[in-house]
Amino acid sequence: MKRGLERWYRYKEVFSGALSAEEAKGEQANPVQLAFLKIVVDHVDRIIGCVESGKPLASIWYGNAPEIFAALGIDWYCPVDMVLASQAFTSDLAEVHTSSTPDDSCGLIQLAAQAVEKGYVPTPNSIIAMLEPCDAQTSVHDAWLSVDAWSDIPTFALDYPYGSTQGDFKYFADELGRMIAFLEDLYGVKMDWDRLREVCETSNQMYAAWSDLNDLLCAVPCPLPPMISAELGWNVTQHLLPPGSPDAINLFNLLSAGARQAVEAGIGAVPHEQVRILWADLDGTWAASMLAPWLAEKYGAVIVQTFQGHTPYLPIDTSSPESMLLGVGRRSISEVPMIRQARGSVGVFIEDIKSMVNDYTIDMVFFPGHKGHKDQSANIGFLRETCHDIEVPLFAFTCDLFDPTWVPIDQLKRSIDEFFETQEIRPLG
Amino acid sequence: MGKEIIVGEELADSAAYRRLEASIQEPESEEMRAWKDAGGKVIGCLYNNIPEELIVAAGLTPYRIRAVGSTGAELADSRFSQINCSLVRHLYDSAKRGRFDFIDGLVAANDCDHMRKLYENWKATIDEPYFYFLGFPKKHGEPQAARLATMLGDFKKSLEGSFGVEVTDEKLRAAIDLLNEIRQLQRELRDMCTSDDPPISGAQMLTVAIAGDSMPKKVYRDLLRQLVIDVRCMGDATRPRARLVIYGGEIDSPELLVAIESQGALVVADSLGGFGSRNCACDVSTTGDLLFDLAHWLVVDRPHEPRTFNTAPERYAYVDGICKEYGADGVVQVHVSMCDLWSYDRLNFDRHAGMRNIPCLDLDIEYVLSGEGQLKTRVQAFVETITDKER
Ligand code: SF4
Ligand code: SF4
Repeated sequence: MKRGLERWYRYKEVFSGALSAEEAKGEQANPVQLAFLKIVVDHVDRIIGCVESGKPLASIWYGNAPEIFAALGIDWYCPVDMVLASQAFTSDLAEVHTSSTPDDSCGLIQLAAQAVEKGYVPTPNSIIAMLEPCDAQTSVHDAWLSVDAWSDIPTFALDYPYGSTQGDFKYFADELGRMIAFLEDLYGVKMDWDRLREVCETSNQMYAAWSDLNDLLCAVPCPLPPMISAELGWNVTQHLLPPGSPDAINLFNLLSAGARQAVEAGIGAVPHEQVRILWADLDGTWAASMLAPWLAEKYGAVIVQTFQGHTPYLPIDTSSPESMLLGVGRRSISEVPMIRQARGSVGVFIEDIKSMVNDYTIDMVFFPGHKGHKDQSANIGFLRETCHDIEVPLFAFTCDLFDPTWVPIDQLKRSIDEFFETQEIRPLG
Repeated sequence: MGKEIIVGEELADSAAYRRLEASIQEPESEEMRAWKDAGGKVIGCLYNNIPEELIVAAGLTPYRIRAVGSTGAELADSRFSQINCSLVRHLYDSAKRGRFDFIDGLVAANDCDHMRKLYENWKATIDEPYFYFLGFPKKHGEPQAARLATMLGDFKKSLEGSFGVEVTDEKLRAAIDLLNEIRQLQRELRDMCTSDDPPISGAQMLTVAIAGDSMPKKVYRDLLRQLVIDVRCMGDATRPRARLVIYGGEIDSPELLVAIESQGALVVADSLGGFGSRNCACDVSTTGDLLFDLAHWLVVDRPHEPRTFNTAPERYAYVDGICKEYGADGVVQVHVSMCDLWSYDRLNFDRHAGMRNIPCLDLDIEYVLSGEGQLKTRVQAFVETITDKER
């Protein structure tokens, strides 16, 4: 079997099983769950198909302008996605703990380095590196390229500007142009600008649909369960589907329909909502399943929004190839999460917190202090000042967003109990 | 047989060396004070990606920020967390304590996530008359050199506007020539360590390099010229038990090397950043547009760091080349905790060294040297392993 496929056939088995189980519920099946599982199974199938048939397959990241790959007809995947999605049924984390990957670095990067070294991901035929938003991104590609099976894969890296001036956007659009030339040359394809226009237009619709869903989360009480928009939205828009896929738009519309009904009826997804929380970072792999339900049940505290779920996406101007590259570039360097908040200076990070606190009627900010986010940890002074100015309590802690054992969840829950006590927030009676 | 000479012992007789050594003991050296007293201005530079040539061409003196003598980083606690590297925390703490009050401005680049945030926190909380930030590319191609050249043009304009000077091509060429001469002299000194009996220790070599960013460049160049003459006249030293190459990012104090060399090994060469061989490995060209030439040197020509994408093969070839040229018996790799760039590089280099049977010792360090006893024990064991193998 080709390197990495054993693991992916396992994914197929597990997620197809989950899909069948949901389907078996018939009318009781959760339509959102059904749609999402189907998307995951299709994604796994697509990647397996590429590897089995030797079709073009690029390893990319969310900030690598997936619109371009869709327009060029090149399949792609992010090597770490399924590794993160499968933590519950693999021993990857336990292996990381005994590996030589640096334990003071981001767990995602540790898992990514390990996955390639051990052959848990299929081998792509091109690598597109993303050199933001953190030092470890650059480093992990060096680690991959030092693995024999990956060392000769043609590689291109996108150099992200530090600033956000017109000159910076132009430079990045030029980088995208160089990436297109690299892909055309490697795969013998040719950019069809009309096709890119279609992709950009449908992707504009997709982000608009996600944004509409987020508008509904502004309602008090929050109509959807904690973090669901961020969890599903991020995965379908950035990882599992081509930009603008009708499946993604359909999923957002499904979620919005349910949310709209709840808003109209004034019903919150969490009974007795008493605290609305902004999670100022990516969701990671455990917050939605191990922390958010506890917060909701014990305190009626709802993580309403996260950086991962934030939708600042502006429509791409599709009037010319240049405007499309500028638009796709802007999306990649200043709209997708993390690159948006972590690249460049602290301004966007702070402005996002202020606007999200305002838009979502947030009562307190949780700052996870993820061990990979060295830059954001050094934003703590700015963050404290901001929260003080806007009079919103801040709960800052330290964790690994991708490893629930680095700081044990029970320890975190005890800290939250203590913090809530200082805020005079009592458990629901 | 003459008297046994311990490596570097004779340097104590060199007045030039004694001045260089004295200049790095405090943040502000005597030479820098004299420059300031004469009305000169000093620009603090964070780390090793600042185009010092432009600062010199503007009639200013670049000073590499070092928290020499720092004993704690408590004042950094409110702005940084424990997952930030100790280097930036000590630098910030020293800045807050006013230990760099003699600088007239601060220039930084996005060297790493910690360093760029040091700049932002510094700017937000400490008054300096001038601040400037350079967003360095993370790739090393021609488009990146062109882009950096444009940014250097902006930096030049900013210096001109803020300090009321004009940076002409002549001034820039003279500054490049001056810094190139310094690089050549440093290389000359380093070349002497390829001999079986190197005349100067690794700690002394680092001292000399650090001094280069602690005083006005012309004063340094003159002292360095004299030092090269002095070292040439020195007798042969005792042959070290083991010859080591030190590899890593930034080390801005000789203490670590002193500790390593106390175990009978000599650090004959290095692949280190701003104060190491990578900074003087080649000269800045002056054959074309000077800003482009300078940018090209910064992002393309000089040996790279892990922050520059896909440069590992070339970085390791550089270390291999140095090992060969200096007849090294092994490599000591240093890594500051919480530094992602160098921690993954260490992992990859270990793999590289393993494949080539290069003995390699990995040392985790903090900015202020601690746990010296344990460190020495590890170095001693490493030296023994190497020398046992050779016997
Ligand atoms: S989660 Fe953060 S630290 Fe980890 S790779 Fe992504 S941006 Fe870097
Ligand atoms: S040691 Fe590493 S983390 Fe610290 S300043 Fe240097 S490159 Fe940055």
